[in-house]
Parts: sequence; C-alpha cells; structure tokens
Amino acid sequence: MQASSKQLYQYPLHLIFHPFDGYWELKYERNQRNSLLIAFMILVLLVITKILHAQYSGFLINLSNPKYLNSLLEMLYVIIPVLFWCVANWSLTTLMDGEGKFSEIFMSTCFALVPLLLIHFPWIWLSLVISAQETAFYYFSNALAVVWTVYLLFVGNMTVHQYTPAKTVLTMLLTLVAMAFMAFLCLLFFSLVQQIVSFVVTIYQELVLRG
Amino acid sequence: MRRSTWKKRKSIIMGMICLLLFVQEAPYVSADGKTDAYHYSFWGDAVPSPAAYEATTIITGKKLNITPMKEPSDMHVTANQHVFVLDSGNGRIIEMDRNFKLVRMIDSFEQEGKEDHFKNPQGLYVTEKGHLLVADSDNHRVVHLDEQGKLVKIVSEPKSDLLKADFQFKPMRVVMDKGERIYVMAEGVFDGFMEFSADGTFSSFIGANRVQVDPVEYLWKRFATREQRSQMVMFTPTEFTNLDMDEEGFIYATSGDRGKDPVKKLNAQGTDILRREGYQTPQGDLLYTQEAGPSRLIDVDVGDSDMYSVLDSSKGRIFTYNGDGYLLHIYGGIGNRLGQFNTPVALERAGDRMLVLDKALGEITVFQTTEYGRTLHEAVRSYYNGDEDQSSVLFAQAAEMNANLEYAYAGIGKALLRQKEYAESAKYFKRSMEPKGYSKAFLLYRKELMREHFSWMMSGIFLAVAAIVTVIIVRRQKRRTTNAGIK
Repeated sequence: MQASSKQLYQYPLHLIFHPFDGYWELKYERNQRNSLLIAFMILVLLVITKILHAQYSGFLINLSNPKYLNSLLEMLYVIIPVLFWCVANWSLTTLMDGEGKFSEIFMSTCFALVPLLLIHFPWIWLSLVISAQETAFYYFSNALAVVWTVYLLFVGNMTVHQYTPAKTVLTMLLTLVAMAFMAFLCLLFFSLVQQIVSFVVTIYQELVLRG
Repeated sequence: MRRSTWKKRKSIIMGMICLLLFVQEAPYVSADGKTDAYHYSFWGDAVPSPAAYEATTIITGKKLNITPMKEPSDMHVTANQHVFVLDSGNGRIIEMDRNFKLVRMIDSFEQEGKEDHFKNPQGLYVTEKGHLLVADSDNHRVVHLDEQGKLVKIVSEPKSDLLKADFQFKPMRVVMDKGERIYVMAEGVFDGFMEFSADGTFSSFIGANRVQVDPVEYLWKRFATREQRSQMVMFTPTEFTNLDMDEEGFIYATSGDRGKDPVKKLNAQGTDILRREGYQTPQGDLLYTQEAGPSRLIDVDVGDSDMYSVLDSSKGRIFTYNGDGYLLHIYGGIGNRLGQFNTPVALERAGDRMLVLDKALGEITVFQTTEYGRTLHEAVRSYYNGDEDQSSVLFAQAAEMNANLEYAYAGIGKALLRQKEYAESAKYFKRSMEPKGYSKAFLLYRKELMREHFSWMMSGIFLAVAAIVTVIIVRRQKRRTTNAGIK
C-alpha cells in the first residue's frame, strides 16, 4: 500500500476521533513503514510547534524570556520525554506480558500527541489577538488537549499490549515511575562523566604547567 | 572489523560530548568598572542604569567643630530638614540645620532636679512637634524629651502578663505616631513591636513576623526523639531590624533575614499592607553569591508619595521602591570611595538629598539627586498625585535617560491610552511587561479595528461561505450525474 499524501493526514485524524478502531488498525492492518513515517512527522511538527510557540505566541501567555530561547533545548523538551516514555513503557511491558513491539509503542505514543499539535498550533496565532480575559480559553483548550492525549495514550497502550483497562492504568503509572528513575540515572551518568572530564583536564593542565 | 567498532564507538563518544555541551551556561552579571548603578529588569537580570544619586559631601565631627562621632547608630530628619544624629558612643544627640551647621547638642537632661545621661542609646525619633524620643538601651528605658530638651516622661521596664517574668527591656529603635503612642523595637523580642500608650504604659505587641518553617528541618524534627528535639534550634520568627513611620501613621519595618517578605508596611492592627505589584517583591538584591547571601536590610526610610528606601548592610546598597513596589533605583556600596560606606546603619531623606550614617567611620554621606533621579522622582510624584499627563511626560524623559527602566513605559502607555492611541499604548505596555494594561489597550484597539473593517470582513466571510456551499452542491450534482451515467 503506497502512502498517498491524503492518507498521511487522514489516518491520524481518523485515529484521534476513533481511537479504538484507529489503534487496532495501527497494530494489525496498516503498513508499518507508513505509520512510522507519519509518527516521525508528528514528532517533527510538534517540535516546530513548540519552538514557534516559545518565540511567537502572544505576550499575555508567553512567559519565557526570549533572551534564553534555545531551539535545540526546545527540541529536547519534546523528544526526550517521548523517548523516555517509550523506552520505559517498552521495558516495563516486556516484563508484564505486553504484546507490543517497540515500534508499535513509539507509533502509538506519537499518534496520541496529535491533539497537542492540533490545538497548540492555531493558538500560536490566536494568542496574538486575545485579551487577558480570553486567556481562559487558551488555558482551557490546553487542558483539553492534555486530557485528550492522555486518553489516547491509554487506549493506545491498551490496544497495543492487549491489556485490561485496570492493567493499562497501572502500567502507565509505573511507566511514569520508571521515567523518573531513568532521568535520575541519566543525570547521575552525565554528572559523573563531567567529573571525569574535569579530572582529566586538571591533570593535563598540571602536566602542562609543570613540564 | 575492528575499525568499524571503533567508528561506532567514536560516534557514541561524539554524541555524549554533544550532550555535555547542552548544559546551560551560567547567566552573566554585567559589571563595568565605570559605574556602580544598576537595575533589575523584569526578568531579574542586572542591567546597567544611570545613577539616580551622587555623593556630594561627607559630614564628620570635625566639620561641625565638635569631637568626632563615636559609633553613631541612628539619625532623623525633621520636616524642616534639621538633622538629628544619635551619637551613641558619646551618649549625645547632635542637631544640625539644613546646611549642616551645628545647632545644638543634647547630652543630658534633668530628672527630678538631678542631671541624667544616656548610656549607649540606639534609637532616635523626632516627632512633628520636635519632641525627641531616645531608646536609651543600656539604661533599659525610652526617654521622651520636648523640643527644648526638657524631660516629658520616661518609659521603663513594662509590666504585663504578656511578658515573661525575667524579661529585660532593651529598646533598640523607637517611633511615635500622631496619637503619641510609642512603638518600640526591643532586643530579643520576637512578638513584634511593643506598643505603649500615650501615658507610657505597655499595651500590646503588633506585627509579629510569621514563623518560617523549613520543610526538611520540620521532617527531621518529626523523627527526632524528645531529647534530640530539645537540643535543636527552636522555630522562632525573625526579629525586625528597623522601623519608620510615614505621614499617615503606617509603620514600615524591615527584617534582617530574607524571610518571605523582608519589608513590611503595618497598619494599626499590625497586618502587613505593603503593595507588592512590582516585577519582584521588594527584597534588596535579587542576584547574590552563595557566600555573600541575600541582602540584609537594616533600615527603611519613607519619603513622600509612598516612595521608600531600604538600606542593605551586607553590600551597603540603597534600594528605592515606589508605593506599588516597583524598584526605582539602586546606589551606594561598600568601599573606600566617596559614596561608599564601611558599616552603614541608618538612612534618612532630607528633601532631595539622602543621608547615610556610617557607624564605624562616624560620618554622614550626603547624596544629591542627579537629573535622572529628579525626573524619575517627579514622575512618580505626579502619578501619585493623579497628574497623569505630567507624569507621562516625565516618565518619557526618564525612559530616554534609562532605556532599561521598564516601569517607566507603563506610565507612557497609560497616558496614550487616555489619548485614545490604543495601538501605541499597547506597544508601550508590552515593553513594560504589563499584561493588565496591555490587555486593556489591546481590547480597545481590537474593537476599533473591528468597527472600521467590519463591513468588508463580514461580506468576505459571507461570500466565502456561499462559495463553499456552491462548490459542494455542484460537486454533489456532478457525482450524482456521473453515478447515474454508470448505472
């Protein structure tokens, strides 16, 4: 099945409104390569949205200092949580009899992020023409997007791993805990590497100054 | 084979190095050698600013033709700009006129026919009538003298159920309100200021600082045994370091440690009513090193139009805020140059001038406002008095001299808003980081724009909808005909 350009946007839109059907199709019926392509595109678009949001959204809702805006960091703020979620979820579900492969977990996660993309992107421009009272709409729709995304994640997890609803909720909570662990380990690792680097640099300097 | 693994490893190492580089660099602090004046921006960064005050002279005992001052600890300036200095080490009060010429010295007073002296007095207050109040610390009393220097009354060891039996009254600072009630800040008192009624009897405490509990410490305390707990430090509220009274009788107080709010404005009930609408709450320096610690505010002086200044003893800087809590300017410092201090202890405003008393050097540094300082003060004053046109002109001037003064742009924005220049006004409010004002101006601008362009926008939308509907109908029709054709 070749991916026509129409399919690229039709399928994710279909999925977010009919998640049970959509995720079932994702796991069993659709071309994996196409879906993976769409997933990556969603991620890229989300990164772009995030950067544009930090730079161009309206003054009333934009609380970030433009002086410290760093597109690379903004990129990491999107990619790292998604990656952590997928890795943590995969590690857990392999132990908990999940049927999902890593690629399926990744795809289902990315597809669940579509509401964030759909709602945040127009708000970059809408936020330029709202007043302080109307920021309530902004915060409401933001909350809506998050709730929708969490619901999609839930359905996605359930379908991909073939879990019961209760087990899905448990897995998702445990995934969050695992993510915290991973973050801790990463920080520990990097701070140790930094210390080693600074140690080596110090020795080098000592040698150079003595020699 | 070996080569390829090395290549792999190399790319991994490169990736790691790249990740290391993402660690954010420390924010820089601007400090050019030329000027000490700086300001804090909306984002809390230190930004350069022109000086609002410059030091002009230093007043010492020698200049007044008297013996040098020894550890002076407090100072007061009256409405007619007479300066009273409490020369603690010599146990005397020095009065100067507005040109810093000696008027008189009070080193004793008559009590029941006998001459009495001060012993290490720490606090001085001069009322509107010219009455003097001295916190005579080592004599454990507050002495109230009239304008001639004759004794009115002495407030000594208060008796009350609120006080412990072994309570030692050691007054450090004192003020008096219009109703002749006396407020005393005493050493070792954590319950706030001691309030004495007009006849000198102790009535109550007002305005105690709340206890600040460190959650970690609290957790440890919960796990500790009774014996361990008794060894630990008690949670005690922070002591006040100084107080001043404004024209309306509100007490401004500073506390030394950085609690939640080191500056307070207390009403008669002792509740804090200081406005904190500024970009940051009034607290002295925002940026400080771990070793130096936060600002230690030890004096406060209230000027006109609700402007007040606080003195930071750790860095020797003076921070001035307006009534809403916006930072106006910073000056002073610890050092050996004119305009810097060794151990600043007291701060007083005398008209356009600002006086800072140095305890160790026994001298008063006199600061005079610069053009910039005068403009800014005048702008705040006009705004306080409701003259918004005048204030916006002055704010524009101040902003011209200091583009980093975000606060001034709001003043311009307000004036433009009333002149119905909504778009411009919104721009200035945005520059001032003032969401409320911006929103107001923007809403009016949007309404104006909509009214202007409503007709063609509405017809445009109508036409677009009509076009879409036609296209859909036509398509459907077509499909039906082709389907019919197939059938």
